[in-house]
Amino acid sequence: MPLDSSVNPAPGRASDAFIDYSALRALVVEDYPGMRNALRLSLNNFGITRVQQAANAAEAIYQVKQKPYDFILCDFNLGEGRDGQQLLEELRHSHLISLGTVFMMVTAESYYEKVVATAELAPDDYMIKPFSPEILRSRLESVLLRKRAFREAYRHFHAQELDAAIAACDFLIQDKPKYLVDAMRFKGELLVALGRFEEAEALYQKVIALRAIPWARLGLSRALHLQGKDEAAEVELRDVMEQAPGMVAAYDLLSDVCLAKKDARAAQEALEQGVAISGRTVRRQQKLGEIAHTNGDLETASTAFANVLEKGRHSIFVTPGDFGNLCRVQLEQGDLKGAADTLKKNKSALQASPEGQLVMAVTQGRVQVGCGNLKEAAKAVEAAAALRASGTRGDANLMLDMAGICMASDRQDEADSIVAEVARNAHDSEVLLARARKIYDDAGRTDAGTAVLALATADVRKLNNEGVVLAHRGDFRAAVDTLLTACAEAPHNPRIMMNAVWVILKYIDQAGLDENMIEAARRYLGEAERLAPGHARLAGLRLQLKAVENRFGIQRKSSA
Amino acid sequence: MKFDGTDLYAALIHELKNDLGLLSMTIDGIPRQGETEHDATVDAAQLLCQSVVDRLQQALLIYRTIDQPIRPAIDAWSPQDAVHEIRDRAAALARGRIRVEAALTPDVPEIWFFDRDLVEMALINAIHNSLAHARSTLRIEASMTDGCLALTVRDDSPGYPQHILASAAANVPCRSKGTGLGLQFSRLIAHSHDNQGRRGELRLHNDQGAVFCLLLP
Repeated sequence: MPLDSSVNPAPGRASDAFIDYSALRALVVEDYPGMRNALRLSLNNFGITRVQQAANAAEAIYQVKQKPYDFILCDFNLGEGRDGQQLLEELRHSHLISLGTVFMMVTAESYYEKVVATAELAPDDYMIKPFSPEILRSRLESVLLRKRAFREAYRHFHAQELDAAIAACDFLIQDKPKYLVDAMRFKGELLVALGRFEEAEALYQKVIALRAIPWARLGLSRALHLQGKDEAAEVELRDVMEQAPGMVAAYDLLSDVCLAKKDARAAQEALEQGVAISGRTVRRQQKLGEIAHTNGDLETASTAFANVLEKGRHSIFVTPGDFGNLCRVQLEQGDLKGAADTLKKNKSALQASPEGQLVMAVTQGRVQVGCGNLKEAAKAVEAAAALRASGTRGDANLMLDMAGICMASDRQDEADSIVAEVARNAHDSEVLLARARKIYDDAGRTDAGTAVLALATADVRKLNNEGVVLAHRGDFRAAVDTLLTACAEAPHNPRIMMNAVWVILKYIDQAGLDENMIEAARRYLGEAERLAPGHARLAGLRLQLKAVENRFGIQRKSSA
Repeated sequence: MKFDGTDLYAALIHELKNDLGLLSMTIDGIPRQGETEHDATVDAAQLLCQSVVDRLQQALLIYRTIDQPIRPAIDAWSPQDAVHEIRDRAAALARGRIRVEAALTPDVPEIWFFDRDLVEMALINAIHNSLAHARSTLRIEASMTDGCLALTVRDDSPGYPQHILASAAANVPCRSKGTGLGLQFSRLIAHSHDNQGRRGELRLHNDQGAVFCLLLP
């Protein structure tokens, strides 16, 4: 292609700005073959010769699992199945791509705002269709140079050395004015992950002093909320929503703030506004369903839970529990047929896993109990009990549903044992304990319920408290034993697991390395992260574990 | 899906724009033959096609401002990157017919706060005008003026006609042919940028050619 000499980069430019396009591995994700090929040719034209193609998200994930890519160019609209944003979320969530991989979204301008303003997880950059190859090249180059500048920060981040990652950001803030704001943004996220909320607050204030960019104001609100300054967080959020009404993450945060202020109505309202802007996010619909359910707004809850299944048909964030949620609300609405239809429609999805089978058995049992078909109900309860006996568990609400039908079919012991288990694993959840109490009340077994709940929570509470007291006294060995017993009693209780991890690390700190113990700490921390994602204590424990591993020279394969 | 009248037009424009985008890529794929008549015709087709695409994109944006004001998505961007990006784009459109230069004054900061896509749309619009009228050279500049980032497209054309300069100065919309619509669009974009009450401006004047200048607070 003949080019005017004045547009070629000046010769002898610093080598840190040189990009070897021929070494880049690129993946083009686009459902329309004509466009896919045109994009490939464009990339070829500026020297990217190693280009693979994918027609949809599933193909893209397959390709990314085969080998790593440096650059993914993805259309937002991928026809049937997941869209580009869902693909990005899944790739990042499952650690299939690292922060070093450039992910660029291609979008028609009608989706532009969805990509730019509404995505919590933003792509590295985006292109509005149709675009010219020069713009693509220029933007890719900018992002690649930015990634290069952040290489150290990302490396530490992936090795979970968050303090070192912050130091790398500080270096960029000091020395690279071009990346000042990007480095502050990343540092803010790291500070929040480390639980250093006051510093995060100060940092976001600094960004806002430069310019009141919506994401910085959102960051400030989050830092305030995490310090319990919910009034100030709400004021800031309501104001930023006027400035950027499309920024859907603000509604999610506002709903958390309202919940913290015990205003579940306002929390629901915020989520409803968020859903109106972007209803595709499964987790937003899940949350709306849960809050509306707690508020007794069954209409909204069933719509939201139905949307979870509808929009999340291809999402990894949908679990069997989501089917259970919809059925539960339908049953509470007295819509027995609706619940039965939900099961029928999703039969193959549910039968694919034991947990799904449990959802089916429990819901069928409840439908039959509702119809007064106790014989059929007993069959379903039998199936559910068999699944439970072989170790299958559902979420706490499903298990309480199961306890309810067990009582209805006169299996009181099974019911009590289920409720006790739920209570042990959620000894501090008022909502669940209240629901358990209500099941006993409805069955006319109020006294039995009080006894079961008191006994179940007392054991765990006692062991947990003993463990913590022993640890504070410095007797870490005994504390570890007590808390590991508590973990065995309440195998799905994230709070107890976190306490166990904490005392194990203290013990190793004092007594030296114990391979079995550190393995237990890893296992319980992983399990706690799965059960209570985003819990405020997790990041700190993760760091302490890392520090212990480093001290004893344990090399673990770093993720991504 | 059900359309009322105006939505139907918007959807149609959208379709056409995407089709033209593909057409443009197709034209890009026509090999040059080193034969002036052939190559010049292909270049002209390409330029025209791109200019129609860019104008349709503006039309859609203007259409949307009927219901609601333009809300820029402000973030920190590098003026240098933006200028280079526009320069590369202009050079590709010019295909050597017009020389494209870019320059930044030393006082331009490493980052500035603006909506990159809106600003680039406005600049590309000015570039199409300049490519249509310039004699030999087009220049893209970034500098600081009155505390604002000034992004300028300057050419060696005969300059803007008086009635356009007059309407720009009076800040009234000028609804003459394509140029007027494009300038109105650029003014909307400039105005949508606001920093603590200070609004962006579009300034037009003639100085050995047409000078198009976006001031971003």
